[in-house]
Amino acid sequence: MGAEAIAEAAVDAGLEAYFGYPITPSSEIMENLALLYASHRNDKFKVYFQSASEVESINLLMGAGAAGHIAMTATSGPGLSLMAEGISYAYTSEIPLVIVNVNRGGPGLGNVAPEQSDYLFVTKSLGHGGSKAIVLAPSSIQEAMNQVRMAFELSFKFRIPVIILTDAIIIHMLESVDQDHLLPVSVDSGWSARGRSGGERHLINSIYLEPDEFRKIKVKLEEKWKAIEPLSDCFMCDDAETLFVAYGISARIAMEAATELREKGIRAGVFRPITLNPFPGKMLMDAASNSSRIIAIEMNEGQMVHDVQYWVRRDVELVPFIGGIYPDTEEVIEKCK
Amino acid sequence: MQVKQLSAVIPGAVNTYCPGCEHGLLLKFIAMALEELGVTEKAIMVGSVGCSTLAFKFLNVDYVQAPHGRAPAIMTGIKEVEPGAIVFAVQGDGDALSIGLQELIHAANRGIPITVFMYNNMVFGMTGGQMAPTTPEGMVTTTTPFGRNTKASGPPINSCELLSCLSGPSYIRRVIIAPKPIQLKDRVMYSSKEANESYRAVVSALKTQMMGGFSYVEFLGTCNVNWKMSITDSKKYAHEVSAKVFPPRLFRDRFGVDSIES
Repeated sequence: MGAEAIAEAAVDAGLEAYFGYPITPSSEIMENLALLYASHRNDKFKVYFQSASEVESINLLMGAGAAGHIAMTATSGPGLSLMAEGISYAYTSEIPLVIVNVNRGGPGLGNVAPEQSDYLFVTKSLGHGGSKAIVLAPSSIQEAMNQVRMAFELSFKFRIPVIILTDAIIIHMLESVDQDHLLPVSVDSGWSARGRSGGERHLINSIYLEPDEFRKIKVKLEEKWKAIEPLSDCFMCDDAETLFVAYGISARIAMEAATELREKGIRAGVFRPITLNPFPGKMLMDAASNSSRIIAIEMNEGQMVHDVQYWVRRDVELVPFIGGIYPDTEEVIEKCK
Repeated sequence: MQVKQLSAVIPGAVNTYCPGCEHGLLLKFIAMALEELGVTEKAIMVGSVGCSTLAFKFLNVDYVQAPHGRAPAIMTGIKEVEPGAIVFAVQGDGDALSIGLQELIHAANRGIPITVFMYNNMVFGMTGGQMAPTTPEGMVTTTTPFGRNTKASGPPINSCELLSCLSGPSYIRRVIIAPKPIQLKDRVMYSSKEANESYRAVVSALKTQMMGGFSYVEFLGTCNVNWKMSITDSKKYAHEVSAKVFPPRLFRDRFGVDSIES
């Protein structure tokens, strides 16, 4: 099961501290980690902690991250809303931390069925003042496992929050995976707050009252952001007249649809953003250069489609699946007739 | 007179607190206590939001800034992964008891070995003197121009009494840090008793943490600027009004640290 695989991947990759507050449909990740912690799967996994709220979770993560330890939580939309405050502080303070967000139906309490409706929230408005996170979107269990390891590495390399945006389908489905290649990460913690220990003190701060000073900090943060490489994947893009753009589980549906359409003589392909932030816009422009139709497939009312439109600069069609409805290959194919 | 530079104070740091405020005094006591206990090098201060935010400009120890009210959660996160560190925060009454009460209660209930120094001046100081959860009945603030109405806002929250309901904390004490004015014929002198007691409470709280317990000290201080009083009147008010609403005493000392001679 996806939740089990994500939990095991985290521990094998060197997770040191898990802090979490149960919320459906993410709780299985936490429950699996409880078992892995109790079974001493990895000595590096020192802290397993149930918090009193997601507000507390994000701050616990910030504390562990500020002390230079690999820390993670798993949550779902309503919980992520509560974490936005902390993410803003973590972004400016340059604190590494990893959040697995299992997207459920929203807004409001919504439901616990899979959606991709947190896209705009995680890519455009994660906390006040323009804070952001690297956002990764796995489309298989194997990729989710690899991305947990990648998230630990990226969070420390760039000292930034990293979000893995997934949904209840990935978390609950079964697939065969290869665990052997998941090597532990090694991270640099020299900058962190563990006591000044005879040297200079370490200041993990987000307050800069002087505008000149804050401008310099924000320029530095922006330069750092620009160095983050976007990632994407192409499925039969080269000669695609009809190009689907989809991420996560929607991309799996899109690939199925593209394969069936090819059998019917329609040259279809799929462009799949792997990093949703930074968005692989230039890669999309290349992939879409020969396509006459571009169709975004999303499990929301149309969120990523704005990014697609921005980059390809022409009309983009949308196939939305909302309310927790599973994406349907036939419906996608129907749209292309 | 020779002045010793405290290693836990940034050399040349200038006190930017308002004249009459006891925040600076509390920070000095923390610096002195860290040195007395020999833990400056492994100390991590977590910053809160309010006038206490400015502490990082004075104390020369590792520092992590928390969002408003969340310092106990950040401290818990640090302590869980760095159990050997000495982790503390200076929180105001608004930070600790209004926006951050949940984080405080859960950290206290778990008995996490961290220390909260809570400076209670009964108003929101940095934002300009609005009502705090500790504002006494009838006190005029910018958001209660006709005085705090306890029918609408409830009575002030007594945090030491509240935390005493939990078995988690090991050390809970309320002291008055505002020195008592002594009116002489031609001038006012101030008592040194409050400073001595406050300093000993800081030491005891850190000792408790070193022995594995959660410690909480509430300091009754003043905010003469927002109370719109003279410095001397504000100190009088702290002794005559604050100390009645929030009686100073030792609530809990599980390890008996108050009686251990350092």
